[in-house]
Amino acid sequence: MTKIILNGREVDVDPKQPLIHACHAHGADVPMYCYHPGLTPVGSCRICQVEVKQGEAPARVVVACRTPVAEGMIVETEAPRAHETRRECLEFLLKNHPLDCPICDKAGECDLQDYAFAEGQGEGRSNEPRRKLDKRKSLGEVIVLDEERCILCSRCVRFMEEIPKTPQLTIADLGSRSTISTFMDQPLRGNYQGNLADVCPVGALTLKQFRFQARVWNLKKSLSTCGECSRGCAISVEVLRNKDVKRFRPRYDPAVNQWWMCDSGRFSSARHNAEERLAPAARRGAQGLEICSVDEALAQAADTLRARANAVCIGSPFLTLEEAKAFAALCGTLGAKPAFVSPPATALKDELLNTGDPCPNRRGLLELGFEALEPAEAFARLAAAAVGVLAGERVIELQGRGELAALEGPRLICFDTHGLEGAGADVCVGIPEQVEKSGSWVNLDGHVGKLTIARAAPAGVEPLTRTLASLASLLATSGVAR
Amino acid sequence: MSTKYPTYLLDRAKIEGAHTLAVAQKHGAWEALRKILKDGIGFAQVIQLVKDSGLRGRGGAGFPTGMKWSFMPDPVKDPRPRYVAINADESEPGTCKDRVIMELDPHGFLEGALIAAYAMRAQVVYVYVRGEYRLPYKRVADAVAEARKAGLIGKNILGSDFSCEVYMHQGAGAYICGEETGLMESLEGKRGHPRPKPPFPAMFGLWGQPTTVNNVETVFNAPFIVLRGAEWFKSMGTKGSTGNLLVGVSGHVNKPGVYELPFGVSCREILEDVCGGMWKHKQLKSFFPGGSSTGVLPASLIDTPMEHDAIKNTGSMLGTAAMIVMDEDTCMVRAHEIVARFYEHESCGQCSQCREGTQWLHQIFQRIEHGHGRLEDIDMLVTLSKGMAPGKTICALSDAAAIPTLAVIKHFRGEFEEHVKLARCPFLPAGTQRPVFAGAH
Repeated sequence: MTKIILNGREVDVDPKQPLIHACHAHGADVPMYCYHPGLTPVGSCRICQVEVKQGEAPARVVVACRTPVAEGMIVETEAPRAHETRRECLEFLLKNHPLDCPICDKAGECDLQDYAFAEGQGEGRSNEPRRKLDKRKSLGEVIVLDEERCILCSRCVRFMEEIPKTPQLTIADLGSRSTISTFMDQPLRGNYQGNLADVCPVGALTLKQFRFQARVWNLKKSLSTCGECSRGCAISVEVLRNKDVKRFRPRYDPAVNQWWMCDSGRFSSARHNAEERLAPAARRGAQGLEICSVDEALAQAADTLRARANAVCIGSPFLTLEEAKAFAALCGTLGAKPAFVSPPATALKDELLNTGDPCPNRRGLLELGFEALEPAEAFARLAAAAVGVLAGERVIELQGRGELAALEGPRLICFDTHGLEGAGADVCVGIPEQVEKSGSWVNLDGHVGKLTIARAAPAGVEPLTRTLASLASLLATSGVAR
Repeated sequence: MSTKYPTYLLDRAKIEGAHTLAVAQKHGAWEALRKILKDGIGFAQVIQLVKDSGLRGRGGAGFPTGMKWSFMPDPVKDPRPRYVAINADESEPGTCKDRVIMELDPHGFLEGALIAAYAMRAQVVYVYVRGEYRLPYKRVADAVAEARKAGLIGKNILGSDFSCEVYMHQGAGAYICGEETGLMESLEGKRGHPRPKPPFPAMFGLWGQPTTVNNVETVFNAPFIVLRGAEWFKSMGTKGSTGNLLVGVSGHVNKPGVYELPFGVSCREILEDVCGGMWKHKQLKSFFPGGSSTGVLPASLIDTPMEHDAIKNTGSMLGTAAMIVMDEDTCMVRAHEIVARFYEHESCGQCSQCREGTQWLHQIFQRIEHGHGRLEDIDMLVTLSKGMAPGKTICALSDAAAIPTLAVIKHFRGEFEEHVKLARCPFLPAGTQRPVFAGAH
C-alpha cells in the first residue's frame, strides 16, 4: 500500500489504481464522466481535476483519473484552483447540452445534472445556438441515442471494446461535430447492450424498455439477485409505486458481476409484472377450483396427502435456500426425495457472465440434497404418481402448463404464482415471486446472493417457507399415508 | 534575398535536380552518414555532438534535440524494438518550410533521419507526411527507393552493422495528427486522438515501444552538425537558439516565401530586407511570429529578434517561425474569426474544454465581426480562453486556440469594442457585409 495525504488526512491507497480511485475510496467526492472504475481511464473529459503536490515541485492541477498515486503525494481535492478548473470544465460541458432534464430519463441519476447542481452557476453565459443533432437515433433493439445530450466521454465505446469485447461503437467525425456511432449505422448486437445505458453518465444512451416509464426518484430500489442464470448477478430491483418492476440494474459486486449484467437478465424484469396472479389460494370444490384462504387450502392439501401414499415432490429451480429447506422438510414428512426441475441449458452462454444454466440456485439445491430432474423426467414421475407436490415459482410452466393440466391420474398440490387449471389440480396456493420475497441463492461459484422484498406480494399471499412449514406441521400432527 | 548571413540548409536545394541521388551525392548528401559509419563514431558521441550544438526542435516547441534523443532508454536494459517517427505533417497555418526540404532535398532529409535513428539505435524510421503534400511525398518516396538501391537504407548500411528501414505514411488531412501522440495513434491505424502523457513516447510510443518523434527540419540539421561540428553550428544564431532556421513569410509582403536565416535576425529585417517590405506601400499592423497558434504581435514589436527567448518575452512564441504579416487594412476580429474557425474544425474532440471551447470562441468572434457582439463578449473570450489553457487538456490544441485569442484582445481590444459599438465591421463600408463563414459543421 502507498501512503498519501488526502485533504490533510494520511490514508493508505492501492498503488495500482489511479488517484481518483483513492479519492473515492476515502470519501473525497471527485466528479467523473469519462472515468469508470471498470474501464481503461482516458482522461478526456477533464472534470476530475485535483491539486497535487509532490516533493519540492510546486502544486499542480491534474486529472485524477490519469495520475498514479505516489508515496507522500499531497492531494487537495477542494483547492481553489482545482475547483475553478472543474467549474470551467463544467461550463464547457454544458455549452451544448440541451438541458432537457424535465423530459430526460436520466434526470435524478445523471452525473452531469448532479454536479451542475452542486457546482454550476445558476445561469449559463452562452447565448449561442445549441448544437442540433439527432435526438432519437435507434442503435438497435435495446438502446436509443440522444446525440445532443452526449458529452462524448467514450465510456460506451470503451465498454463495448473492453467488457463484452465486441467493439461496435466509435466516435465519428471530429471536434464539435463528433457523435457516437456504429459502423454504417448498423444496429448494435450482443447480450450486453443494456449496460451502455448504465455506463452513460448522462441521458444520451437510454433503454428503449425504460424510456419515459418512470422518474427515477419515484423508484424504490431494493437489492436483489438476478435469477436468469446460475451466475446470480447482484442487481437492484426498481419498483414504481409498489406495483410494476420498472427495471433491473446491475449492482457492483466484485466477486460476481462487477458492474455489469446481461440483457436477458436485465429484461427478465418484465416477467414480474403479470396482471393475473393466484391470490391467496384455491381448492377444488363442487364448481371446480374455488378461491379460498391459505388455511383452507392447506387443510385440503393435508387431507389429500393423508389419503394417498407415495407423493412425488418437485421443486422449482428458483427456490431459495430457505424455501428449499422448508420443502425438503415437507418431503421428509411425506417420505419423498426432494427434486427440482432443471430446464436444459440456454444458448446464451458466453465468456463474460451468462452461464447458460437457467437454474439460479442449482448449487444450493444440490448441496441440500435435491435431485436435478429434466422437465420430461419430472413430468413422467408426476404422471405415474398418485399425488404430487409442486412448489416454487414457474414450477408449473417449466414442465408444461398444458401437459400438467391434462393429467388426470395424480392429484396435484401446487405452490406457484399462478394456479393450475385441469382435472388433476386439487389445491393451488399462491406464492410470492422473486421480487416479493427475501432469501438467498448460491451461484455456480458458491457465492451467496441475497434477495430482498422489493414489492409486497398480493393480498393474503404468504411466504412459501411459511405455507410449506404449515402443511408439514399439519401432516406431522395428523400423520401421513405411507 | 539577403546574402549577408552564412547559409547551409538550402544550399543544395537550390541546385537543379538535387532531389535525385546522383546530384545530391555530388553535392555532399549522405557524407555525414558515411563519416559516422566509416569513422565508427558511436551513438553516444552523435547524441553528445547534437547536445553540444544546442540544436532545438524546429516543430514549434523548441525542445533541445540532443536531450530528447537521450531520453530513449538504454537498449541493453530495455531491448524492446524502438522507432523514430518523422513529423512531416506540416499543417500549421502559415508554415511551409518542411515542404521545401522534402521537395528539393529529400536525400539530405533522409540522411538526417537515419542519423537520428542511428543515434537512438532505432532500426525503423516512419515518415508521416501531410496528406495534401503530394509532391513532397513522391520526392521522399522516390528518394527512399533510390537510397535503398544504393545500400543507404536497409540491412547493413554501407557494409556496417547498422540496419535501418524507412516507411512512408500519408496522412489524411487532420491537423491534430501533427501532435506527436496523435501522429503515433494515426500511424497505428487509429483515429488521431492525442494520448494523455505520461507515459511519454520515449518509454511508450508507437505500439507501446520507445519512440522519438522529430520534425523534418530538426533532423535535416543533423548531417551538417556531424560534418562541420558543434562549434560551427553555434557560431550562427544566438546563445539560446543556435544555427539557422527556415522562416516562412506569408501575408501582405512583397516577396513571401521560405528563407534561411540565423536565429536572432529581427522581424523588421525579415520584413523589410528579406521580403521587400509591405505590399502596396501599406503600413504594418500586426504579425503572427510563428504560425497561427502563436499570439499576434502589434507593429510596435517588429524589432523583436526572431529567436525563442526574445519572442517568448513578448508573450508570444517562436513556433515554426512562420510569420504571417498583416497590413493596416486587416480586421483583427476577422483574422481571428478565421483562426478560430480553423481550430474549431481541427479539434479532435476528446477534451471538453477544447471541443466546446474552440466552437464557442469561433461563434463569439463570428458574432462580433458580423455586428452581433456584446461588450461582455470580449471579457468572455478572455475567461473562456483561460478555461482552455494552459495545460488543462490532453494536448496543446486547446492552448493553440486560446493563446491567439488572449493575444489579440491584449493588443487590439479597442478594435473589438469598435465592432460592438458600430454593430458592424469598421473595415467595411457601412451597409456592406462580409460573407458569413459557415460554422465548422
